[in-house]
Amino acid sequence: MAPDQRFLGVLDTSPFRIAIVYSIVFACGAAALLGAVDFAVSRVIDGSTDNLIEAEVQGLREQMVVLSRSDFIELIEQRSQDQDVRGAVYLMVDPQLRPVAGNVPAWPKLDASVGKWFLFKVAVPFGDETREHEMRAQRFPLPGGYKMLVGHDVQERQDVKSLMMRGLIVAVIMTLLLGLGGGFWMGRRILAQAGAISAVATQIMRGDLSQRLPVRDADDEINTLAREINTMLDKIEQLTLGMRTVLDSAAHDLRTPLNRLQATAEEAMTQMGVGSVGRRVLERVTTEVDHMRSTLDALLRIALAETGTVAREPVDLSELVASVVELYAPVSEERGIALESSVAAGAQVLGSRQLLAQALANLLDNAIKFTPDGGRIRVQLRGSPKEPEVIVEDSGPGIPADKREIVLGRRVRLDEARKFPGSGLGLSLVAAVTKLHGARLVLDDAAPGLRVSLKF
Amino acid sequence: MHILIVEDDEVARDYLAKALHEAGHTVDIAVNGIDGLRLASSADVELAIVDRMLPQLDGLALVQSLRATGRKIPVLILSALGDVDDRITGLRAGGDDYLTKPYHMSELMARIDALARRGENNAAEGNTKLKLAGLELDRMTRRVMRNGKKIELTAREFQLLEFMMRHSGQVVTRTMLLEGVWDYHFDPQTNVIDVHISRLRQAIDKDFDKPLLHTVRGAGYSLREDE
Repeated sequence: MAPDQRFLGVLDTSPFRIAIVYSIVFACGAAALLGAVDFAVSRVIDGSTDNLIEAEVQGLREQMVVLSRSDFIELIEQRSQDQDVRGAVYLMVDPQLRPVAGNVPAWPKLDASVGKWFLFKVAVPFGDETREHEMRAQRFPLPGGYKMLVGHDVQERQDVKSLMMRGLIVAVIMTLLLGLGGGFWMGRRILAQAGAISAVATQIMRGDLSQRLPVRDADDEINTLAREINTMLDKIEQLTLGMRTVLDSAAHDLRTPLNRLQATAEEAMTQMGVGSVGRRVLERVTTEVDHMRSTLDALLRIALAETGTVAREPVDLSELVASVVELYAPVSEERGIALESSVAAGAQVLGSRQLLAQALANLLDNAIKFTPDGGRIRVQLRGSPKEPEVIVEDSGPGIPADKREIVLGRRVRLDEARKFPGSGLGLSLVAAVTKLHGARLVLDDAAPGLRVSLKF
Repeated sequence: MHILIVEDDEVARDYLAKALHEAGHTVDIAVNGIDGLRLASSADVELAIVDRMLPQLDGLALVQSLRATGRKIPVLILSALGDVDDRITGLRAGGDDYLTKPYHMSELMARIDALARRGENNAAEGNTKLKLAGLELDRMTRRVMRNGKKIELTAREFQLLEFMMRHSGQVVTRTMLLEGVWDYHFDPQTNVIDVHISRLRQAIDKDFDKPLLHTVRGAGYSLREDE
């Protein structure tokens, strides 16, 4: 797998997708939580400063009535110097807005207001340098056109707020990153496990039933599933091995006496003169042995294909179709049958070359057998290289629609076919081989004739 | 030639021994795998015919053990099993040819002959030019001439002729041709090989007095000068 594909593969895994969804949910949760905290904190801090300022305004308004201007100025100066009231600001200006008393250097621009509240900035000494601090204040008129500004430093509150904001953003990003990272990691783990499983599954499909899925020393779902599948594979292996053994002993027990029969007949023939009656009888015996052998071969191959224990390898189907067509070309030419073929290049399937070759040969055998002299047979290989389709069409009598299913069953020969030689197992073998390769066999009307399609 | 038969089936074994003896071979017999391995390891034996299912030591194990000791004599495996994959297993175990029962004696004889002359066949394989009487086949230029006259062949006919020439003087059966030229291991119901051979015969023998490609009744074909 290329690195790119591996990366994209992880993005497709379910743990990664779940992780994305969860990290988004958690990020929203973190944002909501911090938002709520921020809201509550500002309510508390804002409330307390505002109360403080309002109480001060109230007190000064009362003093303003009682005190003379000079005493009031002194009071303001006093308050301004008072270190106990940290962050409190005062400014008294004359009608020309020139500062008279207080700790704010100049009357600020007070255009932006929220109700009776004003916000403005003041440079405040901070160690060796000064910092712009935000102030929240109220103003009120004094007698004689003088004006009074009373406020409080709210910079700290702003600092806390922006700190919380930053915290909020970092928390959201961290949640997303952790979620994605975790999801990616889990996705890779799953992908690695799934990759190992599919590699083994491919080998099993190729016919190597001794393979087992890799199991780790853990009790998670995948390992449990793998263990169960392995138990299942054990049973399948036992069953198929059992079938193979039965098949092998059946083959042995039938081939051995047939071989003896053949040997005995041949040996006896050597004792007899050419053309003698006895020899002709024995020749008939060996011909029958040949028939039995080809029927037995076909039956065994069908059974073998059905157990699925045949070794599979990549087969160049294009080459195979072309070569089988080429094998039958002279025979069909001799019968005056036009054998046309169009074979798409590069088609490959995983399977048994010998069984596929025989299936194709059987189809052509049948086509040639049933097509009248001067007829036409068309062989096509089309479709994509991974999902090719082989089509064999002849101009013979075809198979009636209601009998197409039946002929694929074992050893069915339609009455019309009895006059032709053959074991009647040709199409059954084609069906078994098709099934072994996970392909689909369809019989259809070629109008006139039979159209056989093998879709891989 | 000194041939060893390792076969537990008495009827098949006796007929095989008799036929080989009549063909002029010296025959040794073993009825189980252990004896078979012991005899096959002796220096006299030049070729072995080994049944796959044997008492005491399985035929495949026998061949494997024999190969492990470095004995390179040709081995023909006889089998009464299924086939398809069994054939490959047999050849992988170290067998040189594989024949499924029931077989015709002519088929077995042709294969033994081919195995016995494997040495000279292999030598012929190294040659660029194969020659028989006036017939000449050049594998490099892929040209065929007879008595100086160029003969046009299709790619398959060329392969067929090449196979026949490599086995010239021997009997080549239809199954040997199907296996050697097409790499197919099944018997087609139609006489496809015969038609291919008759095409080849048309091409190489038609315009000449002496035919080279002969039909051997009940066995197969032979490319040779006499008759």
